[in-house]
Amino acid sequence: MQLIQRNAPHIRHSDNPKTLMGDMILTLLPLYVLAICFYGFRVLITMTVSVLSCWLCDMLCSLLRRRFFNFRDLSSIVTGLIIPLVMPATVPYYVVLFAGMFAICAVKHPFGGTGENLFNPAAGGIAFAAVCWPAKVFAYPVPFTTIPLWDTSSVLTVTSTAHTLKMGGLPSADLNDMVLGLVAGPVGAVSILVLLACLVYLSIRRTIPLVQPVCFLAAAALMAFAFPRADISRAYSVLYELMSGSLMFGAVFMLNDPVTSPKRTAARAIYGFAAGIVTMLFRYFGAFDHGFAFALLIMNALAEEFDYFMVVGAPKLFGSGRKGDAA
Amino acid sequence: MAMKTQPRKGVYLQQFKEPALSREIRQFFNTSASEALVGSPVTKSPEELTPLEVIDIARQAGIVDERDGRPLYKKLEKARERGVKTVVVDALDDEPYVSSQLGVLLHLREEVSAGLKAAAMAAEAANKTIVVYKNLTDAEVRVPSSIDGVRVVRIGGKYPAESHIGRDLGLREGYVTLGVCSLVFLSRAITSGQMQKSAFITVAGNCIANPTNLEVSLGMSLSQVLERCGLADNPTRVVIGGSMTGISIMDTDKTLVSPTTRAVLAFREDEKERNYTCIGCGRCTASCPVGLDPMFIYRAVKSRRFSLLVPLRAAECVGCGTCSYVCPSKLPLSITIGKYRKTDGEEEE
Repeated sequence: MQLIQRNAPHIRHSDNPKTLMGDMILTLLPLYVLAICFYGFRVLITMTVSVLSCWLCDMLCSLLRRRFFNFRDLSSIVTGLIIPLVMPATVPYYVVLFAGMFAICAVKHPFGGTGENLFNPAAGGIAFAAVCWPAKVFAYPVPFTTIPLWDTSSVLTVTSTAHTLKMGGLPSADLNDMVLGLVAGPVGAVSILVLLACLVYLSIRRTIPLVQPVCFLAAAALMAFAFPRADISRAYSVLYELMSGSLMFGAVFMLNDPVTSPKRTAARAIYGFAAGIVTMLFRYFGAFDHGFAFALLIMNALAEEFDYFMVVGAPKLFGSGRKGDAA
Repeated sequence: MAMKTQPRKGVYLQQFKEPALSREIRQFFNTSASEALVGSPVTKSPEELTPLEVIDIARQAGIVDERDGRPLYKKLEKARERGVKTVVVDALDDEPYVSSQLGVLLHLREEVSAGLKAAAMAAEAANKTIVVYKNLTDAEVRVPSSIDGVRVVRIGGKYPAESHIGRDLGLREGYVTLGVCSLVFLSRAITSGQMQKSAFITVAGNCIANPTNLEVSLGMSLSQVLERCGLADNPTRVVIGGSMTGISIMDTDKTLVSPTTRAVLAFREDEKERNYTCIGCGRCTASCPVGLDPMFIYRAVKSRRFSLLVPLRAAECVGCGTCSYVCPSKLPLSITIGKYRKTDGEEEE
């Protein structure tokens, strides 16, 4: 009998990082299926380029840093899957390639790789692409136009609802179409119904904490209700703001990145709320149509402070905060 | 008794208490049964004993409470001094696989009841309560709502429940918690003058052919115990104590059954070390029953920033192991934090 000395506990929950990231991948894939229906197989190539770019860069950076590369670590694949979904279907391959490279080599690994990164790599990559190639990233083809694989210059592109709102114009998109994703916009971020289903699935699986996206959306809705940009009723303003751009997609897939969000429930609620307000401020005063990636990067930098406040600051301000531990 | 409605954090665990729980408790002695049962002759009937005589009997019989390893007579003496009002009988077994307390409560009701009567008399406590664990969905036996007129209260549901007994019952102070097995030995010492020569243990785990609750002689080696129940497979891990907090042992021949041994578990797992890093999911924070942030404490220890341990309240850790259990990256959280927690003081003070 060969016994091994192990630490307690002697039973473990069956979840591991692979199942968590697997859940994310599982929910990202339906968005790709929809995108292929809308725009043809070019989306599949964009996805492959992005995923390979992220995964290979992750491996390369691990090698350069002389760290063990864990093949079970799927987080770079999730990053690679997220990036093309907030881009238009006509996006040139080199844009997603460089966005992926930037996400891994500049945002993830300099801070210590998986689990240590301060900023969400996907948000970093998207922000990089938006700053470098705004003309390529914010012009969208209409759904059900088949995009040629290589030369996309002939494809007719339009601006999204987010851009109309930005310019102070009246959004013309039908709300039903927006729920179903039948409007011009980022590849994966338009199908609001599917995104909400993803949110429900991920929160039931406890892969993401529900409180964070809910507070985020509540804050964004509150801002849209209080300060409508176009000359529309407040209720319509809320609906258009929430369903346009990458706001809903970001709330489900990028905001809840476990590495870069706070850990305490109360801190998560405040963080989500603050992120919602900052996102809307970026929309109102920023240079681009949708500022979610930029807002998220700013919030990421502060995430640890929210936890620090709940652990150290709040007990000082509001008393010890612990009740009923008399024994 | 006003129940507090404060939400309790923790984790739901699958219990794996069957088939050991519903089986009769079997005896496994290394001396002949007749020798083990012989005690000094009883001079008085239990009804005529005075509290001090009961305490003296507990002292002479050398009864040790299986919950905390303290002598029963000392606990009773202390309870008298403090003037406790309630005797709480612990038959919780909140850790999976373990059912040595609940099994004793169910199968040796008369002895538990007699022991409890004597202990409550000795401690001069008016109230008696038996606590069992709420989360017993896989149990095939029914837990009665009262045993011999004493109310059986179901508490908890989430692991850990053992460290919150008083709080869950709404008792602030003035109670003493006694292990159910020590009451059985007290009853035996009173009726037949027996010394405590055995302990009740659960033998279970995925390598055990015949999981059961045993009454085993003290000082029996674990190899003998495992042999008695049969090994279906070669275990890679043998644990003395519960599956959440027990100690993994290396040598089954040299580890012996003691009065505080509540279970012997044998596991075989083919799971390999995966070298995952913390991904910051926050499940440890969400489940910590004391409301700590295990991952921050772990990180502070790993980066040797020990000054952070005070604001992070590392000393309040109860060592339940919930954080390690839920951690998807399988980090050794509780064992790392446990080094910085307060040494276990006297309870109920």
